[in-house]
Amino acid sequence: MGIQIDLKKCVSCMACEMACGYHRDEGFALLSSCIMVTRGREKKDYSAVVLKEEENLVIARPEGVEVRKLGSTGKSDQDKGREDASAKPLLLREPCDLCSDRKDGPLCLQFCPVNAISLG
Amino acid sequence: MEYLTSNKVAIVDLGTSKIVHEKLDEALVREKIGGAGVTCELYEKYKEEDPIILGTGLFTGTLVPASALSMITAKNPSTGKVCHAPLTLYAGMEMKYSGFDYIVIKGKAPKPMYLWVHDGIADIHDAKEIWGKNVWDATDSIRDSMGDALIQVLGIGKAGESGSDFGQVCINYWASGDRWGFGKLFGRKKLKSVALRGMSLLEIADPEGFVQACKELLLAVKNGPFAGKQGIAELSAEMGEDIRKWLEPIIHRHLSCFNTPFPTNTFVFLDEDPKHLKESEKNEPGFLITDVYGLLGFNKMGLSAQDSSALLRECARAGIDAVAVAELNQKAGMTQLEEIKRSFGDVKGPLEHLSKEPFSPWAPPAPMFADFALSPDGSQTADWWKRRQAMAYIFGIHPIFALMSPELTEEKLLELATMGTGLEFTPETLEQVVGDILK
Repeated sequence: MGIQIDLKKCVSCMACEMACGYHRDEGFALLSSCIMVTRGREKKDYSAVVLKEEENLVIARPEGVEVRKLGSTGKSDQDKGREDASAKPLLLREPCDLCSDRKDGPLCLQFCPVNAISLG
Repeated sequence: MEYLTSNKVAIVDLGTSKIVHEKLDEALVREKIGGAGVTCELYEKYKEEDPIILGTGLFTGTLVPASALSMITAKNPSTGKVCHAPLTLYAGMEMKYSGFDYIVIKGKAPKPMYLWVHDGIADIHDAKEIWGKNVWDATDSIRDSMGDALIQVLGIGKAGESGSDFGQVCINYWASGDRWGFGKLFGRKKLKSVALRGMSLLEIADPEGFVQACKELLLAVKNGPFAGKQGIAELSAEMGEDIRKWLEPIIHRHLSCFNTPFPTNTFVFLDEDPKHLKESEKNEPGFLITDVYGLLGFNKMGLSAQDSSALLRECARAGIDAVAVAELNQKAGMTQLEEIKRSFGDVKGPLEHLSKEPFSPWAPPAPMFADFALSPDGSQTADWWKRRQAMAYIFGIHPIFALMSPELTEEKLLELATMGTGLEFTPETLEQVVGDILK
C-alpha cells in the first residue's frame, strides 16, 4: 500500500506539499514535507511530483512514473544534469509514513483538490 | 502576534537604504484582521512618502482552500486612488514564508535597486545588472545569481522603467492582476524587482481544529459547480465569451495558484507540440496565460490563439498590461501582430472600463459558475462583488476563486480566523474593516 500520483490530473497547487508539511511540523511549513511539486522548470511548464518513501524515491512525471531505489540515480550520466535541483532537499527528509497516526489516512490525499493522489 | 504569521513588518526606505524590522502589532490584527485591512492602515501611516505596501492575507499560504493571495497596495499613479493588485501563482505564498507579513517600501532610490527578501531578512541590492532587462531576463538573472530557481520575483520591464501608464508588476515571467500601472510606480522609485523566498514556519493556535475545518471546507468546495472545468477558456466561457475551441489546439495544461482548487491559469505551447509530455528541449516553448481579459482583448481583434498568446508573452516580457495594449491598439485601428508588438512604447490614452473600485478588475465582475443567491436583475451584483473581493483581500483568498465558492462564507472565514490565531474576530469587526477598505 502506498501513495499513487496521477500527474495528468495534477495542477501543481502544492496542497499536498503543505499538508505533508503540516503533518510533520504541526504548523504550516514546507521544510519537512516528503512530497514535493518540482517547480524549477517554470518556463517550460515541466513539473513532477516527487515522493520519498522508506526505500524509494517515486517520481511522477507527465510522461510516467519512475520508482528509484534511494541511493541510486537511476539515470544515465548524460541525463544527470537534467535533474530538477528543487527536489534535492527531499532526500534529507523523513520518508512517507502514510500519516500512520491519523485515522483518516494520508493528509496529502485528503487535501488534493483534483483527486490526483490515491492509495493503492 | 503569534499565530498564522511571521510576526514581522519591514519598513524599507529606498532613499537611504535603511531597513527597519518591526513586530506585527497584535492590536492591529485584532482591529484590521489582515491583508487589505492592514495594508490600508500602513498606507495611511506612510502616505506622505508615496509608499508601496506589500501584504499577505490572514490565511495566505495555509491549508485554507485558495489561500494564494498577497497584494500590492499603493496609489494608482494615473488616478491617485489607493488600489490593491493581486499577487497570486506562488508569489503570495512565498511572501508569507519569506519572514514578513507586510513590507512598506517608501522613498525613491538614487539608482536602480532591487529588494531581496528571504528568511526574515530584507536587503537592498544594486540593480545595475538587471535595469534595462526585460522581465524574463531579469527574473533569470536574479534566480541565477542567488542559485535558487524557486525565488518568486515581482518585477518590471521596459514599460515600468520608462514610465508607461500601463507598466505592470509581473510575477516571474507572467502577467499579474496589476491593472493599476504599479509598474510605473516601481519604475519611478527605481525599484526593478522584489525577490521573495523563505522557509518560515507558521504556527496555528488550534492546529488540529483548524486543519480539520480546512479539510471540511475543501470537501464542500471541490465538488461545486466548477468541478470538471479547468483553465482560462472555461473562465471566459462563463463570462459569455466562449473561446474554448479557439484556444484548445495550443493548450499544454492548466495550472493552479497555490492551494487553489480551480486552475485559473493555462499554459499554451507556441513553439512546441502542445501534446508533448516530456520536458521540452526548447527553453521557452510557450506562455502561461494568467489574465483572461488580456487574452480576450487580442481575441476580439481577430487574432489567432497562437498570435494572441505570442503577444501576451511579449507584453509580459516588456512588463506592460496586455488589456491596455489590446484596447488602445484596437481603438487606433492596429490589428497586425508585428505593428502591435512595436506599439508598446507608444500605448497611451484612457481605458474605457477603468475600474472605480479599489480591487483589480482582473477578477470578473460576477459570480463564476456558482449561485450566490443574488437577485436575477443584477442590481445586487456590483455591491456583492466589492464585498466578496474585500473578503478575498482581507483573508488572502484567490480573488477569482472567491467568485466561485459560496461555501467560503464570511462566517466560516471568521471561525477559521479565530481557530487559527486564537483571537476573537466578530462580524462587527469584519464589517468595520470592509467599510474602511471600501471607504
